[in-house]
Amino acid sequence: MVVMLAIWQGLSAAFGTYWIGSPWGVAARLASGVVSGETLRHASYTLLEATAGFLIGGLPAAALPFALRRLPIVTAILDPFMVAGYGAPKLALAPLFILWFGIGIESKIALVAITVFFIVYFSALAGVRALDSRLVQMAQVMGADERDLARHIVFPGAVPYIFAGFRIAMPYSIGGAVIAELISANRGLGYLVQLGAMNFDTTAVFVALAATICIVFLGNWSVNAVERRLLRWRPRPGLDVQGGS
Amino acid sequence: MATEALLEVRGLSKRFGDRVGRDPSPWVIQDLSFVVNEGEFLTIIGPSGSGKTTLLNMLAQIDTASGGEIRFQSQVAPIRDPKSLKPGLACKIGYVTQEDNLLPWRTTLQNVLFPLTVQRRLNDETRARAQMLIHAVGLAGFEQHYPHELSGGMRKRASLIRTLVYDPPVILMDEPFGALDAQTRTQLQEDLLRLWNLGRKTIVFVTHDIAEAIALGDRTLVLSRSPASIAGEHCNPIPRPRDIRGIMIHPEFGALYHRIRVQVQ
Amino acid sequence: MTNHETALAIQEALWVKWRQYAVTAGRVGLGVALLIAWKLGADAAGPLYAADPIKVFQRIVSDTISGSLLRHIYVTLRLAGVGFAIGCTFGVALPFLLRRVPRLTRAVEPYIMASVGVPKYALVPLFILWFGIDDAPKLWLVGLLVFYPIFIAVFAGIRNVDRGLISMARVVGASEAMISREVIWNALLPFFFTALKIALPRALSAAIIGEFLVGNEGLGYMIEYSRQNVDTTGVFTGIVVATVLVLVINAALVRLDRHFNAWRPIDRDMEL
Repeated sequence: MVVMLAIWQGLSAAFGTYWIGSPWGVAARLASGVVSGETLRHASYTLLEATAGFLIGGLPAAALPFALRRLPIVTAILDPFMVAGYGAPKLALAPLFILWFGIGIESKIALVAITVFFIVYFSALAGVRALDSRLVQMAQVMGADERDLARHIVFPGAVPYIFAGFRIAMPYSIGGAVIAELISANRGLGYLVQLGAMNFDTTAVFVALAATICIVFLGNWSVNAVERRLLRWRPRPGLDVQGGS
Repeated sequence: MATEALLEVRGLSKRFGDRVGRDPSPWVIQDLSFVVNEGEFLTIIGPSGSGKTTLLNMLAQIDTASGGEIRFQSQVAPIRDPKSLKPGLACKIGYVTQEDNLLPWRTTLQNVLFPLTVQRRLNDETRARAQMLIHAVGLAGFEQHYPHELSGGMRKRASLIRTLVYDPPVILMDEPFGALDAQTRTQLQEDLLRLWNLGRKTIVFVTHDIAEAIALGDRTLVLSRSPASIAGEHCNPIPRPRDIRGIMIHPEFGALYHRIRVQVQ
Repeated sequence: MTNHETALAIQEALWVKWRQYAVTAGRVGLGVALLIAWKLGADAAGPLYAADPIKVFQRIVSDTISGSLLRHIYVTLRLAGVGFAIGCTFGVALPFLLRRVPRLTRAVEPYIMASVGVPKYALVPLFILWFGIDDAPKLWLVGLLVFYPIFIAVFAGIRNVDRGLISMARVVGASEAMISREVIWNALLPFFFTALKIALPRALSAAIIGEFLVGNEGLGYMIEYSRQNVDTTGVFTGIVVATVLVLVINAALVRLDRHFNAWRPIDRDMEL
């Protein structure tokens, strides 16, 4: 760690702060930015975009396979469209959303939502499909109806898969928000990056990037924390209490 | 015992996986007939692969039959058409499967309460019953544990009382104690008989262990090899209450064991 | 077979056939419905917000004839291709090199894994600052985006190679280079292909998005330029062409993958 910082400092001294902001300078700027609240303001703007888009895109995507569980024909019909949507470059839609919604927050949220949607859809679909039929049979023998099955068997079984999808989608949500901001915005961390670059202020760019990395960590941590809470029932890998009486 | 059989199997036959145009697959069960009387503890023995689980699946109505019929309380059960199956026959038939099939995301207590939740019968009285059963099989203190935190034997016990908690008149059991060590197995056999004595349910218990069949059952049926049908029927003269640990030294045990043994070959 | 069984089996077969027809019809129907909805939406929302699909089609044709569309496509593909080659080379070479120097690996690995969290797109303005406004920053973007999945896959693949096989090869007298080539490379091929399926479309996406931010040619440039001129038809055209391009490449990859790896047992976990 220390070595890395030293290398960073060395490079900065060697090339000059135009090219590489020194760690000291970045830290100082970051601190002042946090104190003044400015960095936090932009960071929270980006975070808001990412979170709102994540929920708007992710929740319907998680719910859809459940709704379609009893209609496999509809799922089959939708499949090629979903695959196309998953494969298509959603980020290329950024200019279109900016055209539609302006440079405000809505265009970023829309972009994040559509990116997250397809990722989470396939994870949720895998979760619904991974249904253990023996558990279903057991529940049916005990008198469970369709609603009971969906609530007690299908949904809890699919939750791990849905969270796997959430974990994958989370970096995309922040990345999407930042990209949209890079193209056109007047607030947010992407905007700060672009601003810093246009002013040839490398340190500012580094500060904004550092803040972005922090948000990514924050996002990761949140998703993991929620997952840990909801999935307490999962055996931790490596521990096995099998065998014997 | 009631004069009329509770469960009647007539000429039951089953084979799997037929497709139009291909050679017919072999019969797993062919022309199987027997009755189960109310309040009886019936044990069924057969070599492995003889279709014991298939038979129970059909009795529980989670699988169709290719021929014959099953009557429950004199009414024919709809088991020919997959779409008309009624698993568990409106909770009249309980089924303790070979795998414990506990829901991994529910605690022990929640798992035991699960059928009550699904049948909308969850109240103080049923909760108390669940607690009583949990204590009865020695799972007290583990109510908040998740299945992955329990040993195999404990999961089996939880699975057993999960069916007992909602009190179905008929209970099917598919080698429930098969994967356990001898100590646990004996303990659970005693627990089962004790619980059965409280309510005198009708139990159909499948096993490959002749000693277990004799220790537990009023009557033992022997299944033949594939295609399975009834190879023999043995009434168990050993009186109740039974001493499981000492069953083998009972004078009648040896002869009965031998008779059954010969037939199982 | 009993009559009852025959009846059930025939019923089953008919039901399957009917389902296939229904699904195909449904898909075609949905596609047509979407196109109609597009047309209606365009009529309703006006030329500012939504481009008429017919006009989009016309624009595609006219741009193709004038050659400008093809030029843009070529530029983007070239960018994606070169960037892909660079990223791929480093992504494959680095793990192999690191394999020889375990201490370096231990030192470097955590940083590489941590740096995965950085949204690489956010680095583009920095690259522009460093490398100017030509192709360079875009190449860096594409290269980085390709590098990471390939590196991770190859790295993990090398790690997971059966040590027994390597020992065996050493005993038989194979040189390190040969071991790398025979044992390791073949073992990590499926991981590599999975990463390829991710990296190749990403390279194209990255090229397009890089062109949003810098440059004066390419599909991304075309889309962004149209937006700035409020030329909605142009925006739609660019997006349609870009999407079709990526989907075609995806489909081609899937087909290639199936062809080359047909003899491998398919691991469902690695699909998609």
